[in-house]
Amino acid sequence: MKIKLELYGASRDFSNKDHLEFSLKEKSSINDLRNEILSFIDKNFKGNNNFKKLVESSKFCSEENNIVADSYKITKDQKIGIIPPIGGG
Amino acid sequence: MLHVKIIDVSKEKIDLVKAQKFIASSKCGASIYFVGTVRDQNDNKKVTGITYDSHDALVIKSFEEIHKEAEAKFKFNNIAVFIEHIKGYVALGDTSIIIAVACKHRNQAYDLSRFIIEEIKKRSPIWKKEHYENKDSEWLKGNPIKSS
Repeated sequence: MKIKLELYGASRDFSNKDHLEFSLKEKSSINDLRNEILSFIDKNFKGNNNFKKLVESSKFCSEENNIVADSYKITKDQKIGIIPPIGGG
Repeated sequence: MLHVKIIDVSKEKIDLVKAQKFIASSKCGASIYFVGTVRDQNDNKKVTGITYDSHDALVIKSFEEIHKEAEAKFKFNNIAVFIEHIKGYVALGDTSIIIAVACKHRNQAYDLSRFIIEEIKKRSPIWKKEHYENKDSEWLKGNPIKSS
């Protein structure tokens, strides 16, 4: 499955684009996606600890605009938003 | 009565007059305007501006849910709520958010306005990147989003 990971807040520092793309196995979970992103940080940012902490503390948002749990199964190609800790207002 | 919107500052301005017009009602005796602005200092650093980022669809959804929960919690009749938050770069002193509420009585308006801003802080996916006098900039750490 192809996942377009939409970047928000501090996660925008992961790329010059507004998204990253990952290929996941069928029926992967949000937790699997999180691990893929952590591998991406290891590979592209020498394991930048601040970036890894950001990924670990982030939630994820489905294409239907719901915050989803780590156990949520991704069943199709889709857009997923990474939601780092928030601080607006 | 509810109005919610994300204002992209590259396309339009946030406007208090619009809020005043929206909440005006002869049924309401109290109006509260909460206006968030960019202040000049944070953590002993001189701030020159803030770039706001937003997951627009989730933010709008969170505003609508907060309004719905406020109606259920307070059970006030004939209230008007106007919420706009900007996205993009905001200079020192400029407005980042307007929450305007109108209720029958002042204690209702104060309670409602406070509830809305506190819930937005916890639940609306908005991020701040501060810009400093020395030209550095930094995303603020924030808190994990509270999902409803």
